[in-house]
Amino acid sequence: MTCRNAREGFIDISNEELSQEVSEVSRHLQTCAECRLQYDAWQEVIKSVTPPHSITASNHFRERVMKRIIEEDSREGARSQSYWGRTKWLTAIFAAAILLFLVPTLRIGIKSPAVTLFAQSADAISKVQSVHITGRIRTLPGDNFELIGENYDFVPIEIWREYTNPPRWRVEKPGRVVVMDGKSATMYMSTTNTATSGGPYAGFVEWLRPMLDPQSILQNELDDKSVLSAHLTELNGVTTAVIRRKAQGDFTNNWLQNKSIQESDHTCIYRFDSTSKRLEGLQVNITLRDRAVNIAEFTDFRYNESLTPALFSLQLPENVITSVAPEDMKLAAVTLSGPKDAAAYFFDSLAQERWDDLLAVMPFDRIDDGFKKHGAGLQVISLGKPFQSGLYAGYFVPYQVRLRNGYIKTHNLAVRNDNAAHRWVWDGGF
Amino acid sequence: MVAKTTFRIENWPQTIPEFNRLVEATQDELVHFASYRLGNRQDAEDVVQDIYVEAFRDREKRRDITDVRPYLFRMTGNRCTDFLRVRSRRPKEEAMDAAGSDNLFDSLAEAQRIARLRSLLDRIPAREAEVIRLRAWSELTFAEVAIAVKSSVPTVKSRFHYGVEKLRKLLR
Repeated sequence: MTCRNAREGFIDISNEELSQEVSEVSRHLQTCAECRLQYDAWQEVIKSVTPPHSITASNHFRERVMKRIIEEDSREGARSQSYWGRTKWLTAIFAAAILLFLVPTLRIGIKSPAVTLFAQSADAISKVQSVHITGRIRTLPGDNFELIGENYDFVPIEIWREYTNPPRWRVEKPGRVVVMDGKSATMYMSTTNTATSGGPYAGFVEWLRPMLDPQSILQNELDDKSVLSAHLTELNGVTTAVIRRKAQGDFTNNWLQNKSIQESDHTCIYRFDSTSKRLEGLQVNITLRDRAVNIAEFTDFRYNESLTPALFSLQLPENVITSVAPEDMKLAAVTLSGPKDAAAYFFDSLAQERWDDLLAVMPFDRIDDGFKKHGAGLQVISLGKPFQSGLYAGYFVPYQVRLRNGYIKTHNLAVRNDNAAHRWVWDGGF
Repeated sequence: MVAKTTFRIENWPQTIPEFNRLVEATQDELVHFASYRLGNRQDAEDVVQDIYVEAFRDREKRRDITDVRPYLFRMTGNRCTDFLRVRSRRPKEEAMDAAGSDNLFDSLAEAQRIARLRSLLDRIPAREAEVIRLRAWSELTFAEVAIAVKSSVPTVKSRFHYGVEKLRKLLR
């Protein structure tokens, strides 16, 4: 290596990316006094413009930055909020005197006041005997608890939870009630006079389940990977947690998009009493076409209300139609090898009024008379290609049928076989 | 020297948790850089805070940027330049107060040394000075410096070389 090459290589000596060429420069410096002098002078120049010590950000710098970012995030949210978003809830957020903090911190492994709030909230709830929650959801009376729709009217809903061991609870809306008596859950649908039973964790109340455990509601939220942002604010004795989540599920076919809260981009706004740490309110907005639509709200939380034992037992009508486990259902006359086969069998049975055969795909002990009247003698116009959507484990089969009264019905039949017996069963959509 | 971040930022953060992690990982080196650039930490933190908010606000359009760290230095450097430009238009006495309003330096001698350091870099071409700052103050690799100043590695090496040579003459 020449002295000229070595001096051109000085620049890389201090670079971390040591290369073969740099090593050659180093070796040259060990043998060439002239270049060594030049190199020392070079280093002296760099040292003269290098700061003598490190300056670090002040203690609360990150907190201040995140506060600004969260405010920015709130403004972005506000730009797409409806009238509701501009009222007291978000006013509280903007005007928040104390921004407690942050984010789904548990996932990124740092402590925060959010963690403290979980602990305090869980501790506070552990001291209560019961909670009675009243709210309303834009849904259809009698339909499942998960269904939502921006154009549906608000339907009232009530939740009672008793903190006994084992716990007991009841969730009710017009046309549908679920009671968990400590051992098992039973759902009764008055519109079809049907009842379904399951274990204490049967999925009858779907997304409402966290409301049954308000002590861990935020913990559950923040552990959820669909959370986009979360922050806490405190103002006038109320701590507000705003949690934005993206829609979950596969929407290659968007049939289920925005038909449940989980399958919608949505914001949950929780209110906790800052002193008691108890949950006091929840509002859920879904985001549709860049605007927020208030889809559910729970405004009345009564703790330690005396709950009558009758709430936790369900008196079913004598003529109730009860569910049958898939493994106990009668076998179909033909092999059902997929969702379209199951849908075809379902419609053929209705068309030909073969009610016993219908029980091979409908998991009940008998068929409701209203259901028979609705479907008897229908004509199948077309059956489409089955598809999946959102979080639903089953399939949807597009269909068009002509009912006996001449009405042409076009819809998607839901069928599923994700049961232990892998039997194809009807799950709705007619 | 401020420890270089070991946090590998794969893409421009998109969520608040990701920004929280970004701030935690990069705040010290950006505040260090801006503090020496501006002469006090208070102004530096204001500038760096604005950088993070801008980074959040524009996160969607920067989604595809993979070299987040040097990009943050670019934003910080540009914002510091703007800040100094504004400060230079203020009355001289007020500007001097602003420049020395934080207890960054332990002694008068150190304060003088920093003032000399900054003054030296102000006397060479801005593009050469910026490369030296990024390299010597923040230990960015030349590849990162190239990204930070929107140039090529050979060009930033050349600027570094000529800048050091000019400083050497000034120091004689």
